[in-house]
Amino acid sequence: MAEVEETLKRIQSQKGVQGIIIVNAEGIPIKTTLDNSSTVQYAGLIHQSVMKARSTVRDIDPQNDLTFLRIRSKKNEIMIAPDKDYFLIVIQNPSD
Amino acid sequence: LFNTLAAVRVKLNTMLLYSRSSRAMNISTSGILRLNRSATYARSINASVSRKSFCLAADSKILEKSSVQTPKHTIQVLDENGKDVTPRPVYQPDPAAVQSKHSKIFASDTSGGTMSDFYSTTYQTTTNASFAGAFTRSLFGSGSVSIGSQSIMESMSEEIEDPSSKRDNSISLSDVQVKREEVKELIQEEMLDDMVDLYLVESDTLCLLDMPAISVSVDSMEAESVKERNSRYTELCKNRTGNDKYMGRSMQTFNGASKTKEVQSEAITMADAATIANNWDMYDSFCSAGQGEVDLSTDTDKASIAEMIHQNHGPTRTMERTMSVISSSTIVSSSSSRMEMEPFVVPSESKPDPELILQSEEFQQHLFVMERIILENIYQPKLAAYRQLPTLEGMVLLEESSLDEEGPPTPALERLWSFSCELTTGRNVSSMAWNKRNPDLLAVGYGQFAFKDQKPGLVCCWSLKNPSWPERIFTCQSGVTALDFSASSASMLAVGMHDGTIATYNVQSREKTPVIDSSDCVHKHTSPVWQVRWINHERALSGEDKGEALISVSADGRISKWFLRKDLMKLKRTRNDRFKRQVGEKERKSEALISRQAPGLCFDFHPTDSNIYLAGTEEGHIHKCSCSYNEQFLETYQAHKGPLYRITWSPFCSDVFLSCSSDWTIQLWRQDLFTPVLGFMSTQRAVYDVMWSPKWATVFGAVNEGRMEIWDLGASILDPTIVNPASPGVKLTSLLFATETDCVLVGDSDGQVSVYQLKNFTAGEGTQVGTLEDIIGSTLASQL
Repeated sequence: MAEVEETLKRIQSQKGVQGIIIVNAEGIPIKTTLDNSSTVQYAGLIHQSVMKARSTVRDIDPQNDLTFLRIRSKKNEIMIAPDKDYFLIVIQNPSD
Repeated sequence: LFNTLAAVRVKLNTMLLYSRSSRAMNISTSGILRLNRSATYARSINASVSRKSFCLAADSKILEKSSVQTPKHTIQVLDENGKDVTPRPVYQPDPAAVQSKHSKIFASDTSGGTMSDFYSTTYQTTTNASFAGAFTRSLFGSGSVSIGSQSIMESMSEEIEDPSSKRDNSISLSDVQVKREEVKELIQEEMLDDMVDLYLVESDTLCLLDMPAISVSVDSMEAESVKERNSRYTELCKNRTGNDKYMGRSMQTFNGASKTKEVQSEAITMADAATIANNWDMYDSFCSAGQGEVDLSTDTDKASIAEMIHQNHGPTRTMERTMSVISSSTIVSSSSSRMEMEPFVVPSESKPDPELILQSEEFQQHLFVMERIILENIYQPKLAAYRQLPTLEGMVLLEESSLDEEGPPTPALERLWSFSCELTTGRNVSSMAWNKRNPDLLAVGYGQFAFKDQKPGLVCCWSLKNPSWPERIFTCQSGVTALDFSASSASMLAVGMHDGTIATYNVQSREKTPVIDSSDCVHKHTSPVWQVRWINHERALSGEDKGEALISVSADGRISKWFLRKDLMKLKRTRNDRFKRQVGEKERKSEALISRQAPGLCFDFHPTDSNIYLAGTEEGHIHKCSCSYNEQFLETYQAHKGPLYRITWSPFCSDVFLSCSSDWTIQLWRQDLFTPVLGFMSTQRAVYDVMWSPKWATVFGAVNEGRMEIWDLGASILDPTIVNPASPGVKLTSLLFATETDCVLVGDSDGQVSVYQLKNFTAGEGTQVGTLEDIIGSTLASQL
């Protein structure tokens, strides 16, 4: 547990990391470093996105599964590590 | 029924005042019985009784047949009693049987009556048809009851009451009987013929309402008789009025108390279920259904499978069974068949605890990967440069590196990044080693060289993918002075420490403790271990020596070979070498005297011949030794005036080796010459480390206190080609070339390992072995 906390701190302190959100399988945020409204917004939208992405991957080949999702935009990059119990979402702007 | 029978009889007695009321009733009942033959339900007891009664009426023989017969279906009765195929016996049961069903009919009531009644009545029966006719008519006329159809009753009664004669009546009765029987017989004979193979048995038909047709087709066989009957009836009707024979009588019947009965059933709950059948959804449910009830670790699995099964199979009992099998204690096994909704509700409650999520293995793994990805975003240009890949634009603002491209590009070092974290700041980097199998993994040992400021040492395993935090951190009780990764088991890291302990760590595991420690060994080193190396002895003398062994040199003057036994590092004594200090001997003398031991600082095994190795001492001597000779050196090379910090064979020219020492010089030797071929000196600083470049035979790098130098002998033998000064206040202590890329790692006394890329640097095509040899040759030639 301590190691997890340490790692989270380290990630948070990396250059350009804007926020970390951990969401459970139903889209309810468990842990976040952003403010509430942003968290809820991100959680809801990203949940749908990941579901769609996962569905796409599995539709093509049911034995396949989604392991990582990165959405790069002009301003930042959203990285999502999905699991069946949770999503780990990190938003980074590396050119900060 | 008995009571009603009695009541009816009483009534009849009172009303009709006939002694033979019972008989009449009986006959009437029989008539009624007959009427209702169309009903299929039959009670055989009654049937038998009624049969008897009819037999009496028509044929007394049948009385003998008093045997009770088991209740059977009309048709079956037929089949069983072949002898009773006679119309009458076949015919008879039906009305009685039918009558028993109709509770509101006298006849049925009476038919339901006990056998004894019937017996009595039958015996008494004399069938006074006329009486019967009258009575029946009266009975019928009193208009009781809904028997089959009123009209038939009427017709029957008409027939019975044929005024022509008793006989006629009886005839009519019997005729009708016969006809009916005949008709029935015909039907049943036909059916009999058809039903020889009675195997298709349908379920019992419960006839709740039967309304026989009151009209007969003109074409049917009965048509004529029916027409005749009808004509007779109309005649009768005409004759009726004013005829003394006919008297109207009224009867009152009991009206059964009606009772309403209400039944309520449970409302049928409807639920809508919908699903989108994805490709993967079907695959999942197929897999999970195929596996059945096996190994569902998490609750969400169960929930999803429950939902899938529900949606796919529909609510059935089987689903409940599978549900209950699948479910662990968390899901309540739904016993009620209705509530298939329950299994859904329960699993959703048991979603994983947030705490559990955060502690789970997968989460840590995801975090780990995420961290690396984030760092990759940050360091992408640097890493790409390291790996000689094109960098991605736009991720990081690239520093304008291509500013001054004037003239021929000068070879330079570009600092890419440095491995450091807060753990390592302030520590002195004493040694570095690449992993033999994973070229991205670097082990760095931190420990002070000097005796006075000793503190617990540290070994960090860094991965190129994460320059900000090491993958593994091992703390050791004393400063680390030497490191080496094993080649055969790539996760074994040997660590030599300042107090003489040698420990091996398994970097694959997350344990912080060494696998093996030499501190328990009797013959362990007592002084700092300055170098450890895993050497693969191919040509071994005995079976035991084959394979990899750990060789170490320490300041107590011994080079020791270690064998790793379970939980114990065992020192093989026979391979001890001791450094002998030559006292007062002439330098040319190759034979070594046994004398006091000199601290050994470094050694290096010959790249091809693993028996031969060089060892450097604190006195500045280089000894060539062999593993097979423990007591003596093969050769001694003396040139340095200070302790030798590093000896290294050239990876390309097997005769050439380099040595560096604290006397500010680096010497290039050839194996067969006892004086160095070339000497290099650039600054007046002790050279701590020197290493041949793995790519070019003429290039080597050196690190002295103040700066890092890259020498290219093909370019110049006097000056280093590239010089990189250290940051002020920091001493550079170790050097390591990256094996596959043009990068150099430099460790300093502040705990940083900086990665530099050689830019615009090339020593030429190929490995330049020829060049080196040429240089050596020319140098030697010039010396002569």
